[in-house]
Amino acid sequence: MSQIIQTGPPDAKTRKYDRQLRLWAATGQSALESARLLVIGATATSTSVLKNLVLPGIGHFTILDPNTTTPEDVGNNFFLEIDSIGKQKAVEAARLLSELNESVQIAAEPADIADILATKPEWISNYTMVIAHNLPRKVVDKLAAYLWSDRSLPALIVVKTAGFLAEFYLQCHEHTVIDSHSEEKVSLRIDNPFPALLEKATSIDLSSLDQTTHSHIPFIYILIQAAAQWRAKHNNTLPKTFAERKAFQKFIDEMKMKADEENFDEAAAQAFRVAPQPIPTGILKLFDDPALNAPGGLTRESKPFFHLLAALKEYVLSQEEGKRTLPLSANLPDIKSDTKSYVEVQTLYKQRAREERGMFKAVLVKRLKTLDPGNGSDEALLESFGISEGTIDDFVKNSHGLTVLRSTVYGAIDKDPALLDTSLSEKPRETAVHIAFTALDSLPEGTEPTVDNLRAQVVRLLGKDAEIGEDVENCIGEIARTPTADLPTTAGFVGGLVAQEAIKLITKQYLPQVGGHVVVDLIGSWTGIVP
Amino acid sequence: MATASVQTPHDWPGRYYHVDQILDRPGPRTIEEAFTGGDEAKTFIRSQCKVLVIGAGGLGCEILPNLALSGFRDIHVIDMDTIDVSNLNRQFLFREKDVGRPKAIAAAEYVMKRVPGVTVTPYHGKIQDKDEEYYMQFQIIICGLDSIEARRWINATLVGMVDEDNPDSLKPLIDGGTEGFRGQSRVILPTITSCYECSLDMLNKPTVFPICTIANTPRLPEHCIEWASVLEWPRVHGDAKKLDTDDPEHISWLYEKASARAAEFSIEGVTWSLTQGVVKNIIPAIASTNAIIAASCVNEALKIATNAAPHLQNYMMMIGTEGVYSFTFEHEKKEECPVCGGATVDLSINRDMTVEELIEYLADKQTIQIKKPSLATSTTSIYMQAPPILERATRPNLEKKVSDLVPAGTEVTVTATSLPLRLTLRLSYD
Repeated sequence: MSQIIQTGPPDAKTRKYDRQLRLWAATGQSALESARLLVIGATATSTSVLKNLVLPGIGHFTILDPNTTTPEDVGNNFFLEIDSIGKQKAVEAARLLSELNESVQIAAEPADIADILATKPEWISNYTMVIAHNLPRKVVDKLAAYLWSDRSLPALIVVKTAGFLAEFYLQCHEHTVIDSHSEEKVSLRIDNPFPALLEKATSIDLSSLDQTTHSHIPFIYILIQAAAQWRAKHNNTLPKTFAERKAFQKFIDEMKMKADEENFDEAAAQAFRVAPQPIPTGILKLFDDPALNAPGGLTRESKPFFHLLAALKEYVLSQEEGKRTLPLSANLPDIKSDTKSYVEVQTLYKQRAREERGMFKAVLVKRLKTLDPGNGSDEALLESFGISEGTIDDFVKNSHGLTVLRSTVYGAIDKDPALLDTSLSEKPRETAVHIAFTALDSLPEGTEPTVDNLRAQVVRLLGKDAEIGEDVENCIGEIARTPTADLPTTAGFVGGLVAQEAIKLITKQYLPQVGGHVVVDLIGSWTGIVP
Repeated sequence: MATASVQTPHDWPGRYYHVDQILDRPGPRTIEEAFTGGDEAKTFIRSQCKVLVIGAGGLGCEILPNLALSGFRDIHVIDMDTIDVSNLNRQFLFREKDVGRPKAIAAAEYVMKRVPGVTVTPYHGKIQDKDEEYYMQFQIIICGLDSIEARRWINATLVGMVDEDNPDSLKPLIDGGTEGFRGQSRVILPTITSCYECSLDMLNKPTVFPICTIANTPRLPEHCIEWASVLEWPRVHGDAKKLDTDDPEHISWLYEKASARAAEFSIEGVTWSLTQGVVKNIIPAIASTNAIIAASCVNEALKIATNAAPHLQNYMMMIGTEGVYSFTFEHEKKEECPVCGGATVDLSINRDMTVEELIEYLADKQTIQIKKPSLATSTTSIYMQAPPILERATRPNLEKKVSDLVPAGTEVTVTATSLPLRLTLRLSYD
């Protein structure tokens, strides 16, 4: 997103949110402030999730809980107090949470989600996201099915805790991320220099330079020259084997005028960049995304992300095979050099990045015109598709980290014994946690959660012949020990994890765990993912 | 009723309904011989166990309520800081009206107000103000710090306190840390498991810009900002006015100077926020990550105090930037650790290296990082940082070659001014 350069000391809000703005910037913050969250169950775990979303300034939350506060509730929940006993739990928790941040809108509904689902489910569509903690499985299945029934309905996070164990699942039809904050190294095109870069690199006559200038030549030019010379001597091939790569580094070292030229050391360290840097496989896979290849293709109703992705695909595939690249990133790392040379090479990259952005935009506009052949300006056309210049900047800048995430409907794995079985043999300790929770969920009403009763449910789930190993025994043993314990520490841990996922989902930055149950074992102190 | 024997005036029936489920009976992974269970464990955490929390910031504000709700009643907290407005996005025991107050005191008050019957004793000051006798009174120590130096100090102090003849002298140290969406927690049993010093090489090296880059060849906006704070501020203000990175006017001054320099060199990207970030070395921080790590720390404390389940062996890191990822492993003790190892480290240095260069090398080396070390053999002082009279006497050695002062194979003892540690080097020359 185009940045507003801030010249003076920040305002009060920016000062308060400084440490998080450094993670998700003003765009992430404004997404957070527009989000409306529905939390079902005013439990210790729920208030722990909420605390972590109220503090950074979520727009609105509603707590839904039909119960009054019991003495037990006050014992483990920091957002209920002695005086809350006997009062509406949702109201009390909302009141104490609201003290954390005045700018958050709050609401408390002393209602039962089962009733809402039965009488006015559309009420839930007012929210951005729904988080449900320790709801009975029957209710959660209904809630999940309703929210899955239409792609425009909110995402759902189903959270379960019992003693030291926990799991949660994020149900979401489709989540597209432009700014994934990918740490993948972007290509500097040293393997395939653009014309202005090649011209500049080859115009330098290293042997004619004085010592100071020589020691300030950016490694990018050095590598382009070294690669060309190596090719000339080696049958037009690049160093491939370990020995060749070592020899290439030695070759660079021999180009030095003096032993302590750090720019040449940097060139040797970055020598891997002379090899072709292909487009990340994740991005190539996105080009085959079902959303792009649906019969009838993209329409006016498609998400802006997919119009941009389709344009990127066309932009890339129209290039010569073997030399295909994503639009150039203008961001250079620091380079051992002097100011003038650095600014000069940076300017080359910026100019080229602008040109390639222009080419990409032309492809995009041409594609959109086929869907909307009106006579408006390009800007008006883009705007009508929900695409701003800032979106294009963002998309191009982050094109190496684009991501599409999709989950299945909550509970699908429990209807697939084969998948459960595979998962159990591949990730026994992780899958055991999930199976134990499913067993607890599926106990008939009024059945005590004893080890024997839980084991019977496991058998029902996995099939009569399935072998119940030590990991499953351990987990059902723990659940039988603490079937209703919402420990403050587990609540804190899970509350932190779930809030992180909610933030990533809402800000559309970084990558949330969409798809897969996150399981937590606070005896072994680990987390894992089950399909 | 099982809890009756440990009920205090502040308790109410059902108060510990949740926590008691892990205390009343063992689980499949509980070590049966160690599980005291029931009343004994409850009495211990609720009326005998004293826990010290170091740091009342992002982690401390989560650790304290977690401890209180888990049943710990005698909690102490140390923090030297006061509350800043930028803490309020995560340090949830503080409000706008608390800005400027000592963190330890405000945090203690809030927890005691919300959780009846818990005593939180604050100390607004440095951990170094307290002596071994003070630390000896606790059964468990939890650190939620952002300072490496403070962690090294408490770690070395606790390792130094271990007396083989007195089992109570071994204080489990639980350490948490966070940065953005990442964090780690670990359990240190001084002298038994790897200690904080054993893992110094796991820390990322802080970015240091060479002074010649800052002075002569700036390329990044950060170089211009460093120039303004490291060179321009002292040049203009002399000793008269010290740079206060918490003073917005000072940051504004740096920002203007850095912007002007950036414009002169055609460098883009200097902003007020970046200026502040660079000079204060700001680490992004959010409530959710602190909640995860603090909960993990208190969970380990609860397990250690009650044996309700085995505790972490001994390091968990988690990364939340790409999905949910965590990694739990056993960090191994280092024989040559200057704090808990005691083994001699063989170090080969250049024959021409001077004592001063060796001192710089020791400060810089990732596995050692001893700033301001004093060096001595069993017979002579090579260089002593203190007392002043010894410093003066040994100062001429700084320029001398180490190889002229210490024969190869001799053991050199390295001690630090600010840390209670001791490293033995055996030097050879090449």
